[in-house]
Amino acid sequence: MDEFEEILQDFLVESFELIEQLDQDLVELETRPDDLDLLNRIFRVAHTIKGASSFLNFDTLTHLTHHMENILNLARHGDIIIDAGVMDVILESIDLMKALLVRIRDTRSDDGLDVSACVTRLDAAVNGDAPVAAEPAVVEPVVTEAPEEEEESDYSGMSDAEVEAEIERLITIKNAEAVAKRAGSAPQASTVEEEEPDYSGMSDAEVEAEIERLLAIKNAEAAAKRASQTSENAVPTPPTPIPAPVAEEPKPTPAPAAQAAPVVKPAATPAPARKIEPKEDDAKGATVEQTIRVDVKRLDHLMNLIGELVLGKNRLIKINDDVEERYEGEAFLEELNQVVSIVSLVTTDLQIAVMKTRMLPIGKVFNKFPRMIRDLSRELNKKIELDISGEDTELDKSIVEEIGDPLVHIIRNSCDHGIEVGDVRVAAGKDEVGTIQLKAYHEGNHIVIQIIDDGKGLDTDMLKTKAMEKGLITEKEADTMSDKEAYGLIFRPGFSTAAQVTSVSGRGVGMDVVKTNIEKLNGMIDIDSELGQGTSMKLKIPLTLAIIQALLVGVQEEYYAIPLASVLETVRISKDEIYTVENRSVMRLRDEVLSLVHIGDIFEVERVFDNSEHAYVVVLGLAESKIGLIVDTLIGQEEIVIKSLGEYLKGIEGIAGATIRGDGGVTLIVDVAALMQMAKSVKSTVGDEGGSAKKLGAKNSASDYCIMIVDDSKTDRTIMRKSLESTGITLVEAVDGVEAMNILKQGDHFFDAMLIDIEMPRMDGYTLAAEIKKYNKYKNLPLIAVTSRAGKADRMRGVESGMVEYITKPYSPDYLMNVVKRNIKFNEGL
Amino acid sequence: MSEQLQQIIKKQSTALIGDDNKIDDVIQLVGFIVGEEEFAIPILSIQEIIKPISCTRVPQIPSYILGVFNLRGSVIPLIDLRSRFGLTPQKHTDETRFIVMKSGDDVAGFVIDRLTEAIRMPKKDIGPAPETVSEAETMIDGVGKQSDRIVTILKVHKLLERNF
Repeated sequence: MDEFEEILQDFLVESFELIEQLDQDLVELETRPDDLDLLNRIFRVAHTIKGASSFLNFDTLTHLTHHMENILNLARHGDIIIDAGVMDVILESIDLMKALLVRIRDTRSDDGLDVSACVTRLDAAVNGDAPVAAEPAVVEPVVTEAPEEEEESDYSGMSDAEVEAEIERLITIKNAEAVAKRAGSAPQASTVEEEEPDYSGMSDAEVEAEIERLLAIKNAEAAAKRASQTSENAVPTPPTPIPAPVAEEPKPTPAPAAQAAPVVKPAATPAPARKIEPKEDDAKGATVEQTIRVDVKRLDHLMNLIGELVLGKNRLIKINDDVEERYEGEAFLEELNQVVSIVSLVTTDLQIAVMKTRMLPIGKVFNKFPRMIRDLSRELNKKIELDISGEDTELDKSIVEEIGDPLVHIIRNSCDHGIEVGDVRVAAGKDEVGTIQLKAYHEGNHIVIQIIDDGKGLDTDMLKTKAMEKGLITEKEADTMSDKEAYGLIFRPGFSTAAQVTSVSGRGVGMDVVKTNIEKLNGMIDIDSELGQGTSMKLKIPLTLAIIQALLVGVQEEYYAIPLASVLETVRISKDEIYTVENRSVMRLRDEVLSLVHIGDIFEVERVFDNSEHAYVVVLGLAESKIGLIVDTLIGQEEIVIKSLGEYLKGIEGIAGATIRGDGGVTLIVDVAALMQMAKSVKSTVGDEGGSAKKLGAKNSASDYCIMIVDDSKTDRTIMRKSLESTGITLVEAVDGVEAMNILKQGDHFFDAMLIDIEMPRMDGYTLAAEIKKYNKYKNLPLIAVTSRAGKADRMRGVESGMVEYITKPYSPDYLMNVVKRNIKFNEGL
Repeated sequence: MSEQLQQIIKKQSTALIGDDNKIDDVIQLVGFIVGEEEFAIPILSIQEIIKPISCTRVPQIPSYILGVFNLRGSVIPLIDLRSRFGLTPQKHTDETRFIVMKSGDDVAGFVIDRLTEAIRMPKKDIGPAPETVSEAETMIDGVGKQSDRIVTILKVHKLLERNF
């Protein structure tokens, strides 16, 4: 498919979608004529179709939509009231627009329909005249200037220039699909033509005169081409079409047919031989590449399901690890392992496969801009060059579709308002040729599309004045407005800096479309401009792909997920390597100085305990900036599913969303870009160990000490309690590991030591000790095993899991007391 | 569904028998205690009532929002009604419950001290909110009077409204 075909296809798909919506909107508008939103939406449809059709050279369609836009614009501003009469005209024009689009779809040309009558009525409505009733008579005078009225085939109704263009196009179309497709659509074309009421209204004489005139001006080559086109259009399947019946086929009225057929025949004769052969090849080619159009909703649904599957897989892996730990060496484990790894492998593959079905290179959108720039520069009489980079950047289909429109509007704006006329540029000391750069690249979790022009830039004063004139802002608002806010004015509906309405811009609708569409994608628009130097627009759109790779880090008891795309490296440093420069923490990373920030300072994590000599630094990179994020622990890499925090908690600085981990808990996802911004203003507390002193604080009496007894046997607990009661120490009991963990987590007491039995239901002593030691703040909490297991292996396991003492049952109360006192440094503090 | 809720529903269905014709005038509420007072919300705005589960703290939000929790795959904010009403926060007890409320698309979990019962209250027994609070600000929909007690009926949509 050549470039034009591709753009045309996009245009048609988009237009029909818009029109579908339009039908509903119009019905609504009749009941609520005052609904401004609705009017705005209808207006935008007309505007968008006009914009696209003008650069595709569909002059008739552009002509029509331009007038529609005019009337809708007036209605939107309340300058005319939409009454039944005006509504009739609008509806008529929309029907005509639909007919034109159908025609374009079937014949690749918008010729052949007369719009001038409708345009006249539209203008009449604009001027407030009583709308003229639709009368078929209006068609007649037009015939001379619009030879498209000829009903036989629209190709013979073409002007010279159009035929030339058509020939050129045909030559370029060697691609198999294109021809096959056109052949396939031909039957439709003929039926449409037959249904067209306009044609039958023509007199024989007119048709004849027209045919003769055309034949006179067309050279032989053009005639041959035209005939071949005609045959191709009209007869899709028979391998050897005979020209005569072909020409007759589409004719609705017998009289003109009889006359037209002989005229076309001689010209058509040489054609079949040339055209049929490639067509057969085409048919073969079409069968090779098979595609299915799938509703995006189905893909979205699939993606959601896979998100849930990934969560399930993560949980399964976690459970498998737990089971493995508990039943080490059992035979069934291997089988379980195999199943888990197969499930996880398939899930990953499935996820990638579905993601790929949704990915498209952004070049698909960018490709239509060179042509657009060329046309615009000619129309505006400016010299403009387009510089595209990063067209291979892949992104989700939904985004590719959504950004097309905004980009068209931004680029048109840059051409019309940004780039100056050649003379002005030279006078300003710039190159006569203006440049517009179009870039796409990934930045962390976002894709950035940048449109940079070297035009005249945005004048904030002028923007404010205009906005005040239009009543969009008050004088007071204008005074307090920052430059960025002033740039943002161009996105207000109804705002325009153009002195007059041209066919390119000036209605103040384009940038409104940009903003609406980008917001729909949760994207950001960042405008930078320097007066006289140019404007840069940065569209930052999140990759809505819901599943990403993330690095999980821990700080105290909290975990955070950092998108792996932003992580450059991780380093382990000792605290001595952190320097303070002007109140900011920095470290030397090879030849660079890297500024550091503690994740706890960003997310207000209470620093309970932190006495380790080492720290982990996650080096984050975003565009040109880098920062070192200090974390307590690195957990590892994991696939996470991004979930929104919902309406209630949206927009929290530094948090991009949340995910559900294998254990069912929620982990927050770090927004790296926001984190970097926050790091600039955060007061550093790196290396500040003030927190721990407070904790150990005042122990004024024996009851300030607190010990937890964990044992499943009531007798054992009572024995321990009896042994320790005399000291006056506060004692808390738990019947197993799970309960002990819960008591610890509640934080009602600050424990100085724990006495732990090894054999317990639900969670045994070793597991409990290991769990406790996972928490930073309990790193130094003495854990004392009290057990009847006296084997050497048992002792070793105790040490491994973090126990400091090992008391074997039976024991004397004094012994227990002494061990406890020693470990909690009892009396030393009193 | 928790056992309590099932019991509540059972109780209601028995209570329903015999007064079908009066149903339009009666509002069904679920009552609960926060601090010293009894509050109630319409039963239809409750998605479910669950026992406390662990939640994840979220930075930079008011302290009455405890964080977010995982409710079968959805991430839902958890709001402590004690703190929301200006009371001192309390440790969770055996009677603490999370009431998951919804209003339109908004969903949030609310920590309450204890459930009381399902209340069927005739509309005529519900008085307006006290006038000391401004109309736009108040979370109180009305005050229900029963023979032995007064129940404050809350506006669910107001509770679910983000106010920071």
